[in-house]
Amino acid sequence: MFDFWSIIRRFLYMIFVLWIVATIIFFMFRLMPGSPLTAFIGTTFTDEQHDLLVKRFGLDKSLFEQYSLFLVNTLKGDFGLSFTYNKPVIDMIIQALPNSIILTLFSLIIAYIFGVIAGAYLAWKRDTLVEGISIPIVLTTRSAPEFWLGMIALAFFSFQLDIFPSGGTSAAGVIYETTLSKLTSLHFYYHLILPSLVLALYLQGLPLLLMRSNMLEVMQEDFVTMSKMKGLSSWRIVIYHAARTALLPVATAFTLGVGFAFGGNVVIETVFSWPGLGRLLVFAVSSSDYPLAQGAFIFLTAILILMNFLADLMYLFLDPRVSYKTKN
Amino acid sequence: MYKRLIAVLAGFISSILLSFFVSSASAEEVRSMKLWAREQAAGPAPHTAALIIAQTLNELGLDITVNAVPWPQMADQVWYKRLDEDTWDLTMWQMVSRPERSDPDEFTYNLFHSSTAEKGYNFIGYVDPAFDALAEKQRVTMDPAARKEIIDQAQQHLADAAANAYLVHPLLNFAYDNSQFKDGSAVEQAGLGIKNIWTYLNIEPINGNKDLVAQSLDEIQAINPFFISGGTDSWITEIIWDRLLRIGPDGTPQPWAAESFNWVDEQTIDVTLRSGMSWHDGKPVTVDDVIFSFEAPMNAEIVPMYSPFVKNIESMESKGNNVVRFNLKSSNAAFLTSSLAKINLVPKHYYGPILEALDGTGNNAETIIEEKRIGSGPLKFIDWRQREQVILERNSDHFNPPKIERWIMKEIPNVEASLGQFRKGEVNFLTDYKGDPSVLANIVQEDGDITLVKSIDVGFQYMAMNHRRAPFDDVNFRRAVSLAIDRDVMVNAAWAGNAVKAGSHVSPALSYYHKDGITEYDTGVDLAKKILADAGYTVKNGRLHYPEGVVEKH
Repeated sequence: MFDFWSIIRRFLYMIFVLWIVATIIFFMFRLMPGSPLTAFIGTTFTDEQHDLLVKRFGLDKSLFEQYSLFLVNTLKGDFGLSFTYNKPVIDMIIQALPNSIILTLFSLIIAYIFGVIAGAYLAWKRDTLVEGISIPIVLTTRSAPEFWLGMIALAFFSFQLDIFPSGGTSAAGVIYETTLSKLTSLHFYYHLILPSLVLALYLQGLPLLLMRSNMLEVMQEDFVTMSKMKGLSSWRIVIYHAARTALLPVATAFTLGVGFAFGGNVVIETVFSWPGLGRLLVFAVSSSDYPLAQGAFIFLTAILILMNFLADLMYLFLDPRVSYKTKN
Repeated sequence: MYKRLIAVLAGFISSILLSFFVSSASAEEVRSMKLWAREQAAGPAPHTAALIIAQTLNELGLDITVNAVPWPQMADQVWYKRLDEDTWDLTMWQMVSRPERSDPDEFTYNLFHSSTAEKGYNFIGYVDPAFDALAEKQRVTMDPAARKEIIDQAQQHLADAAANAYLVHPLLNFAYDNSQFKDGSAVEQAGLGIKNIWTYLNIEPINGNKDLVAQSLDEIQAINPFFISGGTDSWITEIIWDRLLRIGPDGTPQPWAAESFNWVDEQTIDVTLRSGMSWHDGKPVTVDDVIFSFEAPMNAEIVPMYSPFVKNIESMESKGNNVVRFNLKSSNAAFLTSSLAKINLVPKHYYGPILEALDGTGNNAETIIEEKRIGSGPLKFIDWRQREQVILERNSDHFNPPKIERWIMKEIPNVEASLGQFRKGEVNFLTDYKGDPSVLANIVQEDGDITLVKSIDVGFQYMAMNHRRAPFDDVNFRRAVSLAIDRDVMVNAAWAGNAVKAGSHVSPALSYYHKDGITEYDTGVDLAKKILADAGYTVKNGRLHYPEGVVEKH
């Protein structure tokens, strides 16, 4: 089932893709109109300060020189200092990452558990009133703008009913001594509920619809007919036979979703003042902070490629028809 | 033979006639232009103003379109490419309020002096030796009354030259919850509103409340005494770290960590440090610390952003009895405001070794990983979770401790959520509101426990013109463009009444230096048309043409 060399080859492909992406990102930010120096303009901004900045940012070097330095440093795992924060890029990413991962993972899990079950159920209820009502609702929540859903949830559950807090990961003045004490505090999860439910509401459409259409397809297959002929209960057929097969594409979507989770979610983070990576990314791009933007995007790309690779590997176990063995 | 001669002669004469005719008909059309502005989301009011202005100016026969782009793109073109061949013509621009802008020097000198035209803040390229003389003279005139005279002249000079089309001084809107704070205990500072250190010191918590919970829409980038980072950051650094002087509620510098100061002569000042002060780690504040604080920024490689504020210091010496003597390179009326009230006092025992370690690394003090933040200010640093909140605590040992126990700043990137939290009482001081002022006014009406304070901004909103290019090199054209714009429309339509008319770079908030009557002037399209016609401009086929003989490119 496994072939060592084909795995290695795939790994090399990954490196190649990463290099292409890094190159595109490098040139894209530099070709965008605007300069990182515009953030420093001020009435007391002097020529001397300007020249020091140009030198510090390495903008006095030719583009090719900058590019080769960038490649060498990236290979060493050094993404440099952020132009605007003056802190190592990698520290800034690591600092923002846990909040983003927790928020998105939490929502993904809720969305996929709900989506898979509801999708299977709706496939079973094909051509009934339940389906007629549910599908439009699912499509509506899936297409409603997240910020709108977020604002409505905030206005209703927080500002009106006062059931949930209105943003951040804690109330004003609460101090978490360490990241661990934050992640083990109930107070933190209380703040997590509203943003993650809104995000889950947005995310559930994909697994639900995917699961439903796969189920509908699988139900036509011979082995399902065979199971029916064997006299198995419909519940047993759905769970043990049809759903297992229909889950495959949903599992892929989930792994890729986990990959995207690392990027955070700008909209939800902004509406709920959630201190995640999404807001950091937007800030980096809008202020032409090249090192921060490059570092964050390369990091995200690496995670996504890795998750894609994992999804492929997972297929080996879930679907016996897939193999990485080189054919002789 | 004759025929040939006549033919040649006729040809010669006709060609002369023709060339005369062509040149007389060749008054050049004023080119189509762009008015640069930031995108609507960055500020709805100036964006609306730009649209109205373009429409107004097109009535003069110009062809102006608004070019709305994000700040980095706009600033790159207007600021860094100012000397390029085909650069900008008109742009919306703003100056924001900061405590040190309470002295008129910064705007008067840096915005208009010819030495700042090539790379500094005089990006409009205004060059006038007569004005340079005024800008230089106000700087070295130490007598306030005499200086006021010069500042008045400078304002009039710029108004006559129509250097900029000033539009408005916005009103600053700040509000607090008067069920948590005693109504009226916030302090208004000239040009800055009630969001200032005097409020933090004076505001009285009531009904069991202990904390001031402020909010910021922008992200905090750093809390570092050597780094001027984002706007919000400076609200925090100035209360953790003391300065020798502070700008008082009236806009003038007053003794703070300095007990007193005394001008020995125009280039020498003795400053007496208040005795009994201590750093947040308990060690005493000494004259050595003061000298260290001003010496550190002299090395621009290590503390680049504060270096302009100590440039004028020749040397410092301890004179005993807590006295530090500053010897200046040249006399400077703004020295108190721009240096003594600007430089953060830092403990040498803590920051000395940190700065030394940076030598030769290529990194500067802005890259310090701040493990501790030690100042001597009325509030001390407790905690900061990035993109979430900063917590400061009362320094009870301070000579002027605040009445609040903690000062908390929440980072809330969303205006609606900020308002929601304010109404709910989770935020009790609205320090950063960029939304619609009428929404806020309605909320004040509905809720009944909110005190809203509006103050005139020391900053201003204006339209800048590129003096380097025709037609803006012509004072008549600039005047016509500026006077075409109805300032009442600006105030009422673009800023929805939340601003006052502007006529100079010195805000009415600085009542001492603001020139009386400078905001009173007639405007209107008809007036502008008359100015243009008098100067020889003509309108043909609906488009404005230069006066005879004037060409765009020299």
